[in-house]
Amino acid sequence: MQLMSGRALLRLLTGAMLILFVVPITLGMAGTVLPAFGYMPTLAPGNGFLDVVSDSRFPRAVLLTLFTGLSATALVLLLSIIALVSLHRSRLWSWLSAAMPPLLAVPHAAIAVGLVFLISPSGAVVRMISPSLTGWSKPPDAWIVPDALGLSLILGLVIKEVPFLILAAAAQLSHLNVDASLKIGRTLGYSPARCWSRLILPRLYPRIRLVLLIIMGFNLTVVDMALLLGPSTPPTFSVFLMSLVNDPGSRAAASAGALLLCVLVAACFASLRLLEGLVSRVARARRRSGARGKGSRLFRILGKVVVVLMVVLSIASMLVLLIWSVTRRWRFPDMYPSTWSLHAWISEGADLLSPALSTLSISLSVAVLAMLATVVWLELERLGHAPKLDGLWYVPLLVPQVSLIFGWQAMAYWAGADGLWITVVYSHWLFSMPYVVLILAVAWREFDPYWNHAAHTLGAGYFRVLFRVRLPLMIKPLCQAAAVAIAVSVAQYLPTLLLGAGRHQTLAIELVTSFGGGDRRAIAALAVLQSLLPLCAFVLALAYPYHRSMKQARNNARAVPAGGAFE
Amino acid sequence: MNTLRIEGLSLSLAHDQSLVCDLSFSIEPGEVLVLMGPSGSGKSSILAWLTGTSSPQICGSGSIWLDNACISDLPTEKRRLGLMLQQDYLFPHMSVRDNLLFGLRGGTRSERLERVQRSLQDAGLGDMAQRDPATLSGGQRARVSLLRTLLSSPCALLLDEPFSRLDAAMRSQIRSFTWASASKLPVLLVTHDVSDVPPGARILDIGNLPQGEQCPPTDKS
Repeated sequence: MQLMSGRALLRLLTGAMLILFVVPITLGMAGTVLPAFGYMPTLAPGNGFLDVVSDSRFPRAVLLTLFTGLSATALVLLLSIIALVSLHRSRLWSWLSAAMPPLLAVPHAAIAVGLVFLISPSGAVVRMISPSLTGWSKPPDAWIVPDALGLSLILGLVIKEVPFLILAAAAQLSHLNVDASLKIGRTLGYSPARCWSRLILPRLYPRIRLVLLIIMGFNLTVVDMALLLGPSTPPTFSVFLMSLVNDPGSRAAASAGALLLCVLVAACFASLRLLEGLVSRVARARRRSGARGKGSRLFRILGKVVVVLMVVLSIASMLVLLIWSVTRRWRFPDMYPSTWSLHAWISEGADLLSPALSTLSISLSVAVLAMLATVVWLELERLGHAPKLDGLWYVPLLVPQVSLIFGWQAMAYWAGADGLWITVVYSHWLFSMPYVVLILAVAWREFDPYWNHAAHTLGAGYFRVLFRVRLPLMIKPLCQAAAVAIAVSVAQYLPTLLLGAGRHQTLAIELVTSFGGGDRRAIAALAVLQSLLPLCAFVLALAYPYHRSMKQARNNARAVPAGGAFE
Repeated sequence: MNTLRIEGLSLSLAHDQSLVCDLSFSIEPGEVLVLMGPSGSGKSSILAWLTGTSSPQICGSGSIWLDNACISDLPTEKRRLGLMLQQDYLFPHMSVRDNLLFGLRGGTRSERLERVQRSLQDAGLGDMAQRDPATLSGGQRARVSLLRTLLSSPCALLLDEPFSRLDAAMRSQIRSFTWASASKLPVLLVTHDVSDVPPGARILDIGNLPQGEQCPPTDKS
């Protein structure tokens, strides 16, 4: 009887978990679809599709979105492949592997602001070469950032997404026996680059397809980076939709547009699949041809240059933010600030503290909830009470954020839950869960069951084994997952803006809002602070397991008497 | 056909621990030289050095010759030394036929297909061309792997315990197939198992070789 009630409880838990995750997604889509077709006229007045399609900005916004989103995705894939092929197993690769996780932690908006401060006509790059090389004593008007074609946006997206794809691919390479494939391929007469293109990449690609789709979806629908780096006349489609959703008379048009964005993203996904089929056919024919070709040293050198340039750009973007945040006076074309000061931090301290605390409270709550939910689900799955539903967890990353959040906003408004702290946390949780699952699921499933069996045979019950054996042994991935959850939450702009109803000023909101007309020093301080939170989380995630193991080693040393244990 | 000659081969680990010191030997076409020795004596490291795929922790010196051509400085893909390892490493994203086509050098499309089909038939695998390598037995995989190596027209064949994963019955069958297929090539075999050594092969026990001495030329098993 007790066993039955235990099983029923576990089933209830499984059901509750699914409801917590699936219901908001379903409601979010319903909240977008219904107003788009005119079913919620009081909440979302307007003519829906007719209004959005007849807007003069619509066609150019769609074209711009396709151009920036698809170009950025293609470049991310290309540069990641070049990095893998030309750097794998090199010294530079080890350096790059160490540099990438902190770059991943930096929020998109902070990178975007750093990039503007770096590459704009009055940016650090021009200052470094002026007037000695250029003769410019005032900022040139040869280009502007953001530019009309969205090239700055593409650059920002590429800088942010390349480390993500490289890390995802590197994690998969361990399953592909790369060294053996290279060894066999080369003894059969193929150059390393050909071994990669014919033996390794065809097996790697299906393993990183999901990540690539997530990147493509993000690039096509991003809002905060597009607001900072993208053009405004016209803006990208998602930014155009933001202008509609802020107009009470165009809510139906915004929903219709969000639905069209969904269709656009789905069409791009489908096109990618078609392209994959085509490339795969060509690749198969080339493999069968047996043509060895010549290895290109130039390709390897080019690969190294491109990758180093990307990393240097990212680090420089962060560095320039740091410099601006402690600058008092930095006249053009001076290479360095003439006066340094903590003025931005001190005078804006009170204004920084409130969003920082708000961001901290939301992100910590999100991390705790996401970890708890993921561990519960993976345990339910391991015990056979829940199915393996990896595809489901990634849905919030594949559906355009705009399309989901417009629906959530409508539903939250209808339920009287808009502006609540818990509503914001819940929305962040839905976007953090996929990443936490992505990190923890592999480690959880590959955990050697021997440890559990050994502990059970020593008389330990389920919870004792979980808390004293499994979780301590998995401390590294648990800490990494928590850090990633914090980083994802800190970077969330759109859910906080639309569901927070202006009542929760996080660093992401403050940064994007103040960017338009604010003081560079204050903006830089905001961006640095926004980057510091996830960076601290990543440092702690690395340091805590190390501290634990060192402490354990010290305890072990104390437990063994001098002269050895058996003397 | 070429003679494979190794002169003054010395291998050491990065912390100066010597693995092989000043080893020289040559293998004529159709001849099999068997490298034997205890684990860690550097047998597999010699093969890796010959193919140019040593790990960075291993430092090596010496020269490799195919007849009068020194190939030591060539990249792996230009040395034309065929390699078979313990594991067959058939590429899982290619069918049996595509694995063989990948190995085969030159020829028009129809010539290549015909050559691969003939090889498969000669090896008793005529109806396996379209199969996924994962569906083959261990012996079938070993034969396909050897065919793939031979179709790449190597000038010498290096075998690193290629029979050790096979069961006893299959071992003897694959051994015979290997020696018959590679009958015109110089073959360097690394093995622990004396029964792998073909009749007439020379044995070089690198565990007992006095340092600086050449391999005895007529040490027939």
